[in-house]
Amino acid sequence: MKILKLPKEKLDFFASVVQQFGEVHAPVEQDGKYVFQRLSRWSEARLDYDRTILPPKKYTLPPRETLFQYRAGQGYLPSTEGLDKRIVLMGVHACDVYGLNLLDQVFSGRYDDPPYQTRRKNMAIIGIDCRPDGSCFCRSMRADFVDRGFDLFFYDIGDYYLTLVGTALGDDMVLATGPLFEKASPEDIDEYKRRSSSKRQAFQLEVEIRDLPEIFEMEYQSGIWDELGEKCLSCGSCSMVCPTCYCHDVADDAQLGSRDGGRNRSWDSCLFAAHAAVAGGENFRNSRASRIKLRYYHKHRGFVAEYGRPGCVGCGRCIAACPVEIHIGDVIAKLRGIQNAPSR
Amino acid sequence: MSKPSVGIFGLTGCAGDQLVILNCEDQLLDIAGALNIRDFLMASSDRDAGCDLDLALVEGAVLTKRDEAALKRIRRRSKLLMALGTCAVWGGVAAMDRDADRSKLLGEIYGDLGAGYDSVPARALREVVQVDLNITGCPIEKEQFLSAVANLLNGDPPLFPSYPVCAECKMRENNCLLIEKSELCCGPLTVAGCDARCPGLGVPCVGCRGPADDANVASALAMFQGKSVPREKIAAKLRTFAPMPGDRS
Amino acid sequence: MLQVDKIPSYQPVLTQNPYQPHMARIVRIYKMVEDNYLFTLRFLDDRLAAGFRHQPGQFLMLSVPGAGEAPISISSSPSRPGVLELCVRRMGRVTNALYRMQTNDVVGIRGPYGNGFPIQDIIGHDLLFVAGGLGMAPLRSLVWYALDNRDKFNRVTLMFGSKSPADMLFREELVSLVDRTDMTCLLTVDRDPTGSWKNHVGLLPKLFDSAQIDPARTYAAVCGPPVVYRFVLQRLLDLGFPKDRILMSLERRMKCGVGKCGHCNVGYKYTCINGPIFTYWDAINLPEMI
Repeated sequence: MKILKLPKEKLDFFASVVQQFGEVHAPVEQDGKYVFQRLSRWSEARLDYDRTILPPKKYTLPPRETLFQYRAGQGYLPSTEGLDKRIVLMGVHACDVYGLNLLDQVFSGRYDDPPYQTRRKNMAIIGIDCRPDGSCFCRSMRADFVDRGFDLFFYDIGDYYLTLVGTALGDDMVLATGPLFEKASPEDIDEYKRRSSSKRQAFQLEVEIRDLPEIFEMEYQSGIWDELGEKCLSCGSCSMVCPTCYCHDVADDAQLGSRDGGRNRSWDSCLFAAHAAVAGGENFRNSRASRIKLRYYHKHRGFVAEYGRPGCVGCGRCIAACPVEIHIGDVIAKLRGIQNAPSR
Repeated sequence: MSKPSVGIFGLTGCAGDQLVILNCEDQLLDIAGALNIRDFLMASSDRDAGCDLDLALVEGAVLTKRDEAALKRIRRRSKLLMALGTCAVWGGVAAMDRDADRSKLLGEIYGDLGAGYDSVPARALREVVQVDLNITGCPIEKEQFLSAVANLLNGDPPLFPSYPVCAECKMRENNCLLIEKSELCCGPLTVAGCDARCPGLGVPCVGCRGPADDANVASALAMFQGKSVPREKIAAKLRTFAPMPGDRS
Repeated sequence: MLQVDKIPSYQPVLTQNPYQPHMARIVRIYKMVEDNYLFTLRFLDDRLAAGFRHQPGQFLMLSVPGAGEAPISISSSPSRPGVLELCVRRMGRVTNALYRMQTNDVVGIRGPYGNGFPIQDIIGHDLLFVAGGLGMAPLRSLVWYALDNRDKFNRVTLMFGSKSPADMLFREELVSLVDRTDMTCLLTVDRDPTGSWKNHVGLLPKLFDSAQIDPARTYAAVCGPPVVYRFVLQRLLDLGFPKDRILMSLERRMKCGVGKCGHCNVGYKYTCINGPIFTYWDAINLPEMI
C-alpha cells in the first residue's frame, strides 16, 4: 500500500482539487449534531465531528427511491435518474467504512442490487481517523481500523495527515494535486504508532464479542428479551441510524385513473409491527420482544453465520438515538450475566 | 368501467379535511374526471342527497345525535365508507374530555341554555358504524388522499405506513427534540405519513395523526416522566387527538 | 475552486437487474377451489417463455401493476416448460388485484428464486409427499417432475388431505393418479358431505397406515398448515426418518426474493435465498421457523 503524508494546512487545497472527482460532501454541524452534506464552502466541513446522525448508507441506499416506472404496454422501466452522480465523501470514520463494506456484501453476492452498486461505485471515500467518545465501541467490534473500502484514509500525526492510498482512484486524486503529498518518513510512522496505541487506551466502552453468537443461541428464551420488549418503543430510530441496517419495503403507487406508476423502496425496520406480517394478516413477529430480539440476533448471530463477522460496527448511533436509552452494551452485558453494566 | 359515485360529508369538525381535497388544485380536474361526485355540500349546493354511493368520505367526529343519524344514513347509502382525518378516525380533539360530565361541560360553556343543546360525548366513526378505510391526519395529507383515490379506483386498498413519526424524522436526519432538548415530542407514539413535518421545523410532534401500530404508551409515559414532565401534562398531551389506548373506548 | 471535471461515471448494469419484472400474459384462469385459482402464464417474449427454467419448489415474484408484488410458488413442473402454473390464494392486495384480472391481461414476473428441492440428492431414492390443504401448491412441481422422470426415482408415494372433496386443490388431477400403478396416491378428506367420495375419509396422519414406507431410503417432502407439521413430523421421526431428509416449504413475507429486503428473516436465514425449502434439521436450528 502506498503511504504518503499531506500537510494539514493544505487540506482545503486538496478538497478543491478533488472536486473534479465529484460533488464534495463532508460532515457539517447541524444544531450541535453532525450530518454528511454537500459543502458549499470548505470551511463548513467539521472533520473533528463525533458521529453523523445518519451514516453514509444514505448515499448508497437512500431513505426513499423509485426503482421502476410502470407504463402500460411498455412494462416496468428501470429508474436510473441520479445513479451516475459522482460524490466524494470526505471525513468518513473507520466504523462507517466498515458499515459500507458490510452493506456492499449484502447488496452483492448471488444477486447484485444495481441502484446500490452503481451509487457505491460512483462514490469516493476519503476516511479520517477519530478519537472515541463514551458511546464508541468500534474497537470491540473490530471496526476501529479498516483496511479496505476507502480510496484514501487520513491519520492525524500532528502537522500532517499520514495518508493510506486504498485504490487506483485514490492514487489519481493524489496525482491530481501535483506535489501536494509528501513521502512519509520513519518518524511519521513512529508518530502514527504512538497515536494508534494511545487511541487504544481511550475507549471507555467495551463489549466482548467472542462466543457471543453461541450466547445468543443459549439465551434465546431469556427473559431479557421480554424486558426489552416492554421498554422498546418500536420507533425504528436505531434501525434508521444504523450503518448496517438495510431492511427496506417496496410498494407501488398508481396515478389517478390508471395502473401506471412508480415502484418505490423505502427504509423499513424489523422493529415495526408490520414487518413480518404476511398477506391475510398473520404476523410472524407480533410481539415487540420478538422483534427487538430479532434485531440483536440478526446483527450478532446472523451476520456472523453469513459474513463471518457481526453486523455491528460499534459506531454508537443506536445508543445516541434511542429515546428510552436501550444500550447495546447493557444488553450484551446482561446476556453474558455480567451484573454491572460496562463503564460508560 | 363507469365512474364511481362519491359523496363527501362533514360531521362535527373544522372541515379542514374537505378543504385539503379542494386544495388539490393541480389534480382537482383529474379527480372530478375520475369520480362522479354526487354529494359534496361544501363544494356545491347542487347535490343529490339521497342517491346510492360507491364511496363515502366522512370527516369529523360524532358529537351530536344529528351527527349519528347522518352518519348512519350515509352508511346505508354507501358501499364503502372512509373516515377522513383524525376526528373521524380517532375522535380527535373533541374526544379529549369525553369521559367528563356532559351536562356540567355544557353548563360551563352555555350556562342555563346548555341543557337544550344536542351534544353527546365525541365518538370516532368506527364506534358508531362499520368503517372500511381510514385516512388519518389533522388535516389529512394531500398525497395520502390522492394515492388512496388512485388505489381505490383500481380496486386496491390504500397503503400507508403504520410505523411512528420517529422513523420519518430520522430519514430526514432531523435533530431529536426528545433526546437533545427533552421536549415532550409525541413522535414515537404517532403514526407517520406527514414526513415528520413539525420536528423538521423544530416543533415537537403533538400527535395530531393519532397512534402508530403497537404504540408503546406505557414505556413512553415512563420516558417522559424520566424527563421530569408531570404526569398530568403528559396525559393531557397524549389525549389531545385520540383517547389514550387503555382509556374507555 | 476548480470546475467539476468529467471523471467518467459508472452506469448501472441493468442487464442483470434482479428486480426487473418481465411481462407475461394470463392464458388461463382455472377456478379450482373458492379463492384458490390456478393461473397459467406465458411470457410475452417467446425466448423467455422457452428459456425459463426453474427447480421444483422454487418461487417467483408476481407483479400486478399498481398493486405491487407477491411471492408465489411455482406449481408447474420444469419438465413441462413453456407456461408457468401458479396456484394463487386470494389473500392480500396483490392477489386480490390478480383475481380481478381476466385472461389475456398482462402481469410481471421475475425469478425463479430460492432453493428448490435438492433434486440431485433425491434422485435414486424413494419419495414421500405429505401435504395438507394448500400445501399441495408448492409440492405439485416436484410431484410432476418425479412422474415425468419416473425412472430416476424409486417408489413414489403421495398423501394428501383436505377438509372436504370440494376443498381439494388439483382434485381431478390427483384422483386420476390413484389408479396409476407406478405410484401410490392416497387421498383423504376430513369429512365427505357429498357421499360420493371414493377415497379415504379421516385425518391425514391416518394415511400412514395404508402406505409402505422405508425411511432408510426415502426423502419426505412435507407442506401444509401448522397442524400438519405438528402431527406429520412426529410421525416421520417415529418411523425413523433422518431429520435432514424431511424437506419442508415455508411461507414468509418475501418482498424482494433475493435476500436484500430483510422481511422474510427466520432466525438468521432468509426464507427467500436460504429456502423456501428447508430440512427439518434447519427448522430445529432456526428459532420460530415452524
